[in-house]
Amino acid sequence: MKHPDEMTCLLYVERQLDRARALEVSAHTQECEVCRTLLRALERESRLLTRAMLEEEEPLPARIESFGERVRRSMQWVWMLAFGLAATTLYALYTGYIQPLQDRLEQAGFGGTNLLGLLVFQGSFWKGWQSMISLVEALAMLTLIGSVVLVLRRRLRRGSAMALVLAGLCAALAAAPPSGATEFRKGQTPTVAKGETIHSDIFLSGERVSVDGTVDGDVYAFGQSVDVSGHVLGDVIMFAQTARVSGQVDGNIRGFDNNLTVTGTIGKNLTEFCQTLTFDKGGKAGGSITTFAQSVTIDGQIGRDILWYGQDLNVTGSVGGALQGKGETLEIASTASIGGQVHFEGKSAPAVAQGAKLAFPVQFTKHVEKPHEWGRSSIFWQVVLMAAFVLYGLVLISLMPQFARETVHSAENIGASLGLGILVFFGVLIGSIIVAVTVVGLFIGVSTFFVWMISVYAAQIVVGALIGQWLMGRTNELWPLIGRMTVGVIVIRAVTMVPHGGWVKFGVILWGLGAISIAIYRRFQPSARMAVAPVGPATPLPAMTTVGGGPAL
Amino acid sequence: MNAPGTTETEEIIARAKAGDAEAWGELYRQYAGAIFRFCRRALPTREDAEDATMEVFVKVREKLVQYDATRPFTAWLYKVAANHCWDLLRRRKIRQDKETEDLDNLPLEHPDPDQLEQLIEQRTGEEVRKALDKLGTRARMALVLRYYSDMSYDEIADALGVRRAFVGVVLLRARHELRQALEGTSALAAGGTS
Repeated sequence: MKHPDEMTCLLYVERQLDRARALEVSAHTQECEVCRTLLRALERESRLLTRAMLEEEEPLPARIESFGERVRRSMQWVWMLAFGLAATTLYALYTGYIQPLQDRLEQAGFGGTNLLGLLVFQGSFWKGWQSMISLVEALAMLTLIGSVVLVLRRRLRRGSAMALVLAGLCAALAAAPPSGATEFRKGQTPTVAKGETIHSDIFLSGERVSVDGTVDGDVYAFGQSVDVSGHVLGDVIMFAQTARVSGQVDGNIRGFDNNLTVTGTIGKNLTEFCQTLTFDKGGKAGGSITTFAQSVTIDGQIGRDILWYGQDLNVTGSVGGALQGKGETLEIASTASIGGQVHFEGKSAPAVAQGAKLAFPVQFTKHVEKPHEWGRSSIFWQVVLMAAFVLYGLVLISLMPQFARETVHSAENIGASLGLGILVFFGVLIGSIIVAVTVVGLFIGVSTFFVWMISVYAAQIVVGALIGQWLMGRTNELWPLIGRMTVGVIVIRAVTMVPHGGWVKFGVILWGLGAISIAIYRRFQPSARMAVAPVGPATPLPAMTTVGGGPAL
Repeated sequence: MNAPGTTETEEIIARAKAGDAEAWGELYRQYAGAIFRFCRRALPTREDAEDATMEVFVKVREKLVQYDATRPFTAWLYKVAANHCWDLLRRRKIRQDKETEDLDNLPLEHPDPDQLEQLIEQRTGEEVRKALDKLGTRARMALVLRYYSDMSYDEIADALGVRRAFVGVVLLRARHELRQALEGTSALAAGGTS
């Protein structure tokens, strides 16, 4: 009789034989004492091995016992570190971008009324909203945030929850809902009729918006054309293709328009982003003008300063304060008068007509196009920005390690990422503006825009991590991934410093943005797990059993 | 060690996954002993095992978000530990195993069953552990994965980077090495009846 070999016997004991072979062995062992003894010995050998390995012959070392506690504490430090790094990043961005701009504005004589201050901190954009937050509303907001955190707490890390609460609080403070006292008017031609008086803020949205009456509050106007011919005691915030102010606005005007014509009176300041700004002869502004406009004509009276970034500026009227501008051409007509300093940076010297009344000689700085500034300061800030990006990436990857891996994985599909990136880059931007213009979706529009901005910055992190993986090998672990991201970001920043590197940067942004979009899309897809059990070998017979009989041993 | 899959353990794992430091501490207390013993069996020295245990838990903390809660936690934990220990051994380039995937070297005949039974009956757990220390790296790792961690042949193949069909060969050779170490001779491994 041929005995099964030891390998077969072991596989039989381990239940690894296919059914047919197991039946053969089982039948054989019914008749063969030697093989039964061998199977029993192999089984006992298995049990001896298991028992010997499981025996606790030595106590757990003290340093292992204390290690758990150290790790537990370190988990709290990780988040402190992450928030610290986030703060450092913000500081770096502030010192890199905002502070230099503030300094320049300060030097230009716009101290205290700089652009950022005008737009955000001192502006009336939030005025009338903050004051409307009642205690009940604040408590309701806090309760809502708390509920969301409670619901999501199982899915969020503690630090993430903290970040969520902070973000929620910021959102609640920054964009409190308008009070019920605010009036809304929508339609094709929303109007405040002549003789009508509104004693609150008013939102007007439609194709042709007109304010012919009196508004004792702020006006928020969104439309193809906006015409303010009445009297607004507060501020005017408007988004329009064509805007015209022929009436009286006691407060400020903030506008995002294609063209704006002012023939009326603005009590305070004008901040305008547009293609063409015309301040007609009858137009008056008590305060300053800050504008980013391609073409500006100042024929009226400006009480204080003008800050202008654009292409062409033509001054024929009077400016009480200083004029600071950067563009291509500046023309000062003989009828013009400027009470403060004039500083112009452009391609050609300003054309100042004889007879123009200038308190100070014009200071001109010829703008020379430099392919790239390789100065010491530039490199310093590049390094600071590089560090800021790395820190930003570190925080993002630490907060969302799994999502970061998925995003980097998505970026490997370059074609799809770039294609979707182009769509998202332009689509979301345009979409958020459209949503904002529909008044009701203002908060959603602004929020979407901020998310879009964050994603644009994060895009470079994603591509950086992928490039790092290409250079240093693939990884799924957190810190090695962060290390690769660091290397990749350094490479990207270095490449974008060379002439025409901006296009590379733009491509990287599109690529990364697409990868983020793909990862988000996949997140929202239902899990596509296989419903069918994996096919494996036929289940072997249990060891130590015989076919048609009792136990073999 | 708590049985995997119990509601309490699942709750702790879920909390640890969500970043709860207390739950993490509890998880560590529950499983640190088991992982230390695993590393102790798989690695050459006690110091190696201590270091590896801590490194394994650092990895576990990082990878916990990837853990699929529908599968037994201990199996996943041992897989992380096995991969770590095997990587460690590989990096040290101390894989001096004689094993190849050549089946020709295998003895196909029976060992003497009575002699094998006698050898097993006389041995204590301590003697077996000492004998394990004398085994080649892969042989020892294979036995630990199979008889300590209760891994399937597929999981062992994955951890050791060998074909599944070769796992039985590795295990049988490991047993032969163990018997030799226990006996001090190769009689059992080579001798046999037919």
